[in-house]
Amino acid sequence: MKRYLIIPMLLLFSYVHTASAVPAIQQAEMKNGLRVLLMEAHNVPMVSMQLSVVAGSRFEAAETAGTASLLATMLADHSARHDHRALAALLDADAIHLGAAASRDDLKLSLTVLKEALQPGLDAFAELLLMPGWNNERFAIFQQDSISGARKALEEPGAQAATAASRLLFGEHPYGHRSSGTEASLAAIKLKDLKKLYHTQVKPAGAVLAVSGDITMDELLPMLKHRLAGWHGAPKHRLMDIAVAPTVMGKTADISLPTSQTLVQLLRQGPARSDGAFFPAFVLNHILGGGGFGSRLMEEVREKRGLVYGVYSYFIPLAAPGSFVITLQTKADQAAEAEAVVRKVMGEMASGKVTRKQLQASKDNLSGSFAQRMDSNRERVGLISMIGLYHLPLDYLSKWTQKVDAVTLNQVKQQAARFLKPEQWNRVRVGAKLNIEASAVSAAKAH
Amino acid sequence: MFIRIFTLLLLLWSMPSWSSAAILQQAMFKNGAKLIVEEDHSAPVAMVQIWLKVGGRDEVPGKTGLAHVFEHMMFKGSAKLAAGEYSRRIAAIGGNDNAFTSTDFTAYFETVPAAKVEEVLGLEAERFAHLALRDEDFQKEIRVIMEERRMRTDDDPNSHMFEELSAVSLRLHPYRNPVIGWMQDLKKLTIEDVRAFYQKHYIPGNVTVVVVGDVDFLQMKKRVGETFARMKAHPVEARFNPKEPEPLGAKRIEVKLPAQLPMLAITIPLPVWEPGHNDKEVAALAVATQVLAGGRSARLQRELVDEQRRAFAASAGYDPFGMGLDLWYLYGMLGPKQTTADFEQAVWALLADMATKPEPKAVLAAAKRNMIASEVFAQDSLYLRAKEIGRMEVSGIGAEHRDAWLKAIAAVTAADLQAAVGRWFTKDRSTTGILTPEVK
Repeated sequence: MKRYLIIPMLLLFSYVHTASAVPAIQQAEMKNGLRVLLMEAHNVPMVSMQLSVVAGSRFEAAETAGTASLLATMLADHSARHDHRALAALLDADAIHLGAAASRDDLKLSLTVLKEALQPGLDAFAELLLMPGWNNERFAIFQQDSISGARKALEEPGAQAATAASRLLFGEHPYGHRSSGTEASLAAIKLKDLKKLYHTQVKPAGAVLAVSGDITMDELLPMLKHRLAGWHGAPKHRLMDIAVAPTVMGKTADISLPTSQTLVQLLRQGPARSDGAFFPAFVLNHILGGGGFGSRLMEEVREKRGLVYGVYSYFIPLAAPGSFVITLQTKADQAAEAEAVVRKVMGEMASGKVTRKQLQASKDNLSGSFAQRMDSNRERVGLISMIGLYHLPLDYLSKWTQKVDAVTLNQVKQQAARFLKPEQWNRVRVGAKLNIEASAVSAAKAH
Repeated sequence: MFIRIFTLLLLLWSMPSWSSAAILQQAMFKNGAKLIVEEDHSAPVAMVQIWLKVGGRDEVPGKTGLAHVFEHMMFKGSAKLAAGEYSRRIAAIGGNDNAFTSTDFTAYFETVPAAKVEEVLGLEAERFAHLALRDEDFQKEIRVIMEERRMRTDDDPNSHMFEELSAVSLRLHPYRNPVIGWMQDLKKLTIEDVRAFYQKHYIPGNVTVVVVGDVDFLQMKKRVGETFARMKAHPVEARFNPKEPEPLGAKRIEVKLPAQLPMLAITIPLPVWEPGHNDKEVAALAVATQVLAGGRSARLQRELVDEQRRAFAASAGYDPFGMGLDLWYLYGMLGPKQTTADFEQAVWALLADMATKPEPKAVLAAAKRNMIASEVFAQDSLYLRAKEIGRMEVSGIGAEHRDAWLKAIAAVTAADLQAAVGRWFTKDRSTTGILTPEVK
């Protein structure tokens, strides 16, 4: 018989810092290694869940980029037992929302159901996961449509920049291609590539099932045990088996697109999810450009100068360091000026110009807006899944505001010196008339 | 909250009798301001939304984009709060500067810890009543808005094409104008336009305060009584809501833009819900759109994309809570080897099929069940709950009717659906737009 190890969360409410007390995350580990994390929420009779398996796009070759995404699409579409029509009828009849998607590190299978439809929902969920149908005709349709989609995406400056940025920052590293793939890489994918990824990586050890909603662990575990009994094994490549990509700095890439605006992205590698200074770096980014209107970049580029609608910064913390991005769009003849302002702000912060007042404002905003980050079951599932996948402590959410509050001005300055030196950044631009701007950049820097 | 969920669940099974209503608590103040509260004490947070019966339709010719420009100016300081101070105070509470503008309404919203709701209401009332409207702020903000337009519309071939198509589809109704405004108009707007708009439209009779979350109705009533209800009453004028002339035949446009692949879209002006008057027909149109574009079995995806291979993506959309009419749309994205002509032909064949053959029982039941289940899922988010209340309130439907809509959905029969499709989804009522990629 399988045994479940249930670790009750103790001491969760011993330090309630803000008014937004966070319900405990309960954990159970199934015998096959699958971790189940649950946050109960009984106010709406529904359940949301997401299974993360270590089968993201980093486990596919760049030449066949898009394999993990196509695998996700195929898994969610039909099984060996139900073709896509039968499955669609079955899911629609009970309003079962079931989907799948791939990102860099993991492949996610998600389910949102009314409580009363949980049993058929879980039946379908387990069947799709464990009994793939590998229908050739369906594969051909998805492949062809994703190629058209990739072509259509070339109209979007943001998609063009993202592709160029991955290549520029990560080169041959597994993070060097986007999960969506390109026209050429999607065309090179064979059904056997999907099968191979499935058979090597879609395994319970290291996988996490994050659940939020109107259910208890005692109700949930027997339902899972019954359905996931046949799932065994560990992935060939573990989540943390990944090298840090070589550092690149001062590189540029320009992409021509007939748009009225130029998209400017400054890029470098940011912190990994496991970075020891994660919270100071997180608060630093909030001060820089992660906090919307309160942020330095928004203040200088939009509020003071009216140059952009939006200017933002963010980093993507993965198993290894992912991208740290500053992005803006403005009409072509203002791009150089906007970029110069961004670089000036970065330089100032890197040299220690961050005030206690700015730090406090960011902390207040982060703590106060924490409740908004948890506004729905689906949002909570996203957070719980991240906690499980990257092995963050189970009290991560309940200690979150406390951790933010504990960040000191010195720590922020250290992270600013570590991450914001302008010369360490790279640049991608997308737009028309890009070489005219090159001379304008030097002119803007001069005065 | 619990009674609302209960009604929704009963509706999932199309219950025959009808008894319980949602707990919406309302208060009307003498100066015309209104308060709607839905208490939910499951977490110590609340969503505050200030809804205004002001939007793109209230602009005069040559001033398109003004309602949206105004929304931006609401963040530029008031008598007591310097520019940016409002944002700083809201940020300190944990909120973000959030707002949205449509043709029918403008709304400002914050999710905050429940203990801060009274402070937020005070801040909102302060800027509403005493907005600074300085020209120097306007001059910067209008440039920001032009960048917003370039980003959202000018440099996006699909939305650019939809803007053109909407303008051609309607002759009188204000949905023909983009909410962000035509660039030509944005270039000519002045601070005087903004001030005149403020005087005329930002009056208590146009305000509905919606609060959903861990609050007490009586306390909210007291607080709104001290803030929005203290403002001087102004007469509220009837809103611009012309009757769109009947279409006289199919219309067609071609939009040439730098793009990679073609797109074809079809619009049809459809009626919107007037509770008690057209429930059957409008609910049938909504269910028909769900059968076409919703769920896993969506006929557009199943038949036109998967089986006939006429497009690589296709969908449709209908908003029965518009004002005056809704511009229903359907579109297909064409791959390199697919033609707009083939897709168009397939669309009309599908619509004709829906008008002549009844949908199978299981398909109809699934469509209805999914629409009502979506409503249960939406109860999970304070933001969506408050938005639904505000939306129904400002469009003139009345938030108290929200469960009657689901009841109307539950009552739709296969014959109703056929009749509605046959009457409304006709070529003569339609406008077709084709995005033709042009390499410059």
